[in-house]
Amino acid sequence: MNAREEILGRVRANLAGVAPAPRSASTDEPGRPADLEDPARCVTRFRELLESVGGRVTIVRSEDEAREVLARRVRELGATRVVVSDAPAAGRLVGTLSGARVLASTADRAELLGAEVGVTSAQWGIAETGTLVLLSDHERSRLASLLPAVHVALLDARCILPTLGAALAAVHDGSLAGRTVTFVTGPSRTADIELTLVVGVHGPRELDVLLLDAP
Amino acid sequence: MRVSLFVTCLVDQLWPAVGEATADVLERAGCEVLFDARQTCCGQPAYNAGHRVEARAVARHFLDVYEGVDAIVVPSGSCAAMTHHMAELFEDERDRERARSIAARTHDLASFLVHTLGAPDLGARFDGRVTWHDACHGLRELGLRAEPRRLLASVRGLELVEAQRSESCCGFGGTFSVKYPEISVAMVDRKLEELAELGVDAIVSGDASCLMQIGGRLARTGGGARAMHLAEVLAGR
Amino acid sequence: MSGHLPMETFDANARAALLDRTLNGALKRATDRFAGQRRAAIDAMPEWEAMRERAREIKAEVLADLDRYLEDFSAKAEAAGARVHWARDGDEACRLIAGIARDANGRRLVKSKSMTTEEIGLNRYMAEAARNGEEPVETDLGEWIIQLAGEVPSHIIAPAIHKTKEQIADLFVEKLVVEEGTGDIEALTAAARRVLRRHFAEADVGISGVNFAVAETGTVLVLENEGNARMCTTLPSVHVAVMGIEKLLPRFADLEVFLRLLPRSGTGQHLTSYQSLITGPKRSPDGEGPDEVHVVLLDNGRSAMLRERVTRQSLACIRCGACLNACPVYQQIGGHAYGSVYPGPIGAVITPQLAGLEKAAKLPFASSLCGACRDVCPVKIDIPELLLHLRSEIKSGKGLPHARDVSAGARSERIAFRLWSWTMRSPLRYRAAAACARLLARIGIGIPGAGAWRAGRELRPFARRSFRSRWESRGR
Repeated sequence: MNAREEILGRVRANLAGVAPAPRSASTDEPGRPADLEDPARCVTRFRELLESVGGRVTIVRSEDEAREVLARRVRELGATRVVVSDAPAAGRLVGTLSGARVLASTADRAELLGAEVGVTSAQWGIAETGTLVLLSDHERSRLASLLPAVHVALLDARCILPTLGAALAAVHDGSLAGRTVTFVTGPSRTADIELTLVVGVHGPRELDVLLLDAP
Repeated sequence: MRVSLFVTCLVDQLWPAVGEATADVLERAGCEVLFDARQTCCGQPAYNAGHRVEARAVARHFLDVYEGVDAIVVPSGSCAAMTHHMAELFEDERDRERARSIAARTHDLASFLVHTLGAPDLGARFDGRVTWHDACHGLRELGLRAEPRRLLASVRGLELVEAQRSESCCGFGGTFSVKYPEISVAMVDRKLEELAELGVDAIVSGDASCLMQIGGRLARTGGGARAMHLAEVLAGR
Repeated sequence: MSGHLPMETFDANARAALLDRTLNGALKRATDRFAGQRRAAIDAMPEWEAMRERAREIKAEVLADLDRYLEDFSAKAEAAGARVHWARDGDEACRLIAGIARDANGRRLVKSKSMTTEEIGLNRYMAEAARNGEEPVETDLGEWIIQLAGEVPSHIIAPAIHKTKEQIADLFVEKLVVEEGTGDIEALTAAARRVLRRHFAEADVGISGVNFAVAETGTVLVLENEGNARMCTTLPSVHVAVMGIEKLLPRFADLEVFLRLLPRSGTGQHLTSYQSLITGPKRSPDGEGPDEVHVVLLDNGRSAMLRERVTRQSLACIRCGACLNACPVYQQIGGHAYGSVYPGPIGAVITPQLAGLEKAAKLPFASSLCGACRDVCPVKIDIPELLLHLRSEIKSGKGLPHARDVSAGARSERIAFRLWSWTMRSPLRYRAAAACARLLARIGIGIPGAGAWRAGRELRPFARRSFRSRWESRGR
């Protein structure tokens, strides 16, 4: 008998005579905030929560404005290398950057590890938690959002979903096979040394969300 | 109404004043207090230590003594809570039913005074500052929290001061207190850390075992406060 | 469990821990902080109790039908291109993982925090027994610190909480992480980032744990704050996810309530910085992420816990650490004293069931049964019920034959309780015994335990007249 059969056999034997556990029919998960029906509230809540964990949210009214904010940030950081994901919107953001070399996320690993800034978009936002949702089948953003110390993410405010449940449902649209979903809520952090919070560990130390809220 | 008093083995032998105070309080509240001299113990020490067969025999005696009694009052949250564990000790369904029935008729003192008797005025008086210790079994198994505080609030002259760590375990835990004495003492010390800051005259609880632990440590370390049972405070004039 | 250094008995460890003032202070700070943050987070959530009940329900549902859900999970994961492996015990799991690394010519391994891999002693196995012989590098900061120090974690959430920054600085100097140890926490963290980044860049294989796995979709979810798990599951070409079979949830949507509960329970955060939801490897070679995703399903004693309702509930644990922070015993002695990967209240109940070590038989007794753990458990495990159940099993020798305590102390305790029981079920014998004890006390012979009591506390003497004697003479 192989391991799989043996384990399943043990499980079945030990569960023999155990009735299936009842399940409440409700799909209304408790803890779901009820006051996020209004999109404007979603934007506000998203911002509050992301800022509460050290993320930065800048509201921009146009892609032009987003470009300016990014360019300014890159200058402030003195960044020499910027990684950009393959999302067209992200590509447009870095289009006119001067002073820094722009790398695709398919570039050489050593180059990516040396980049100071990563630019991506995000497919969804979650108001309940101030979270960005990155979908690997929509955009190659895993490395650009992880390796550089600064992650700049463009998010359309219309893509902010109210709750975790709504985000999970939106993500689980069809098969998940071969897809990696990443939820990002703020910069990386640790309190492993004497419980003292340090921001910026292995992931980025700064998360800048450019929230496109066109009037 | 008639109530049967289960004083607990600990109170009987080590702290009879608590038993007497309990009887006084119940009489003042208008009850006729009976004491069945056949009583011994609820079986908790053996049950907690993992000796269920031995606990069962003692629990059976408890069931026999209190067969047919309408109301049993206990000055101990942990002993009252033990009656809820008695059913699982028995295999026979009739015994289990007896146990469940007894559990429904057994009341911790504070719970009885508030929920059954409606917290009548006991004419109690205690001049001083006290803080309440939430004994674990009474708190978490019987849900006692508001009841003792309500009773203490009606004691003339008493100033009730809340401790931040009122719910933290005193470290008794039955045989735990002597199997792991260093941990047990460290736990009561942590609890007593704030006592000095609170400046209370007494720390009051509904469980004599906790009071033995707390009082025993206070006596050793010379802390100023007394450890008192709720019944003693309520019986005060 | 093979995954840690040889330990002395619980009693000796606990005593040593109580005397270690640095450790004691660190533990109290850590547990107070986490418990306080948890409190603040759940006070802001009026539906907390409803969420706990929902989570308990979902876990009960999956455990009652675990074989079916395991089959669903593995079918879905394999359909998504993952390789699913089954391990009956820790050794088999280690062999499988070593085999995966070997097949991939993987010499350099990085791993993110996973208690399951500590349970099976993976690091030691890889370093000693695997032909490649290279120990995986821990990449969670706390885990890396204790790996460098050759120690084991003292807390589920904050494994290095027992170390001061100065101790860590010295360690870093000794291990050539930094040239000078300044004890500046930001600098230490930055140094760790530099060193570990090199490991990430060069690693062939990334090993992670799994916080939740979804049967409906074949997804594994890894949550974290540091970003190291993302590194381990994105950069190397092979990802191995190691999970106990109990980590399953039925549906993708079930993740919602657990993502609300776990971070708040553990640290008070509303969500950790990152969650990675992985369903098999990338579909196209020019995508990002590993070429191979492996999931190792570990039994190692879990299936046996399914048999009884009382033990089955312990499989619901989501490893949040809230019970540790609430436990007045853990607060005093910390994690090392338990001699197990899983310390604290949950450790006291699952270690004897998983490990079957003789030493583990003590753990269920090292508790005052206060119940604070039961109050805080997000999936409503009744730990005191389990402690009492295990105590009874151990004392009667049923069900845990390898844990039956056959020492002389245990034999005399059995005799003592039999005598106690015989005495207590007869009012006459009770009164006689009390009279005897009163007499003996007068000549200085105390009841069993009096000596241990008196070490730290005054012992209340027998009253001159018992309550019943006074009641009788009142003429009632």
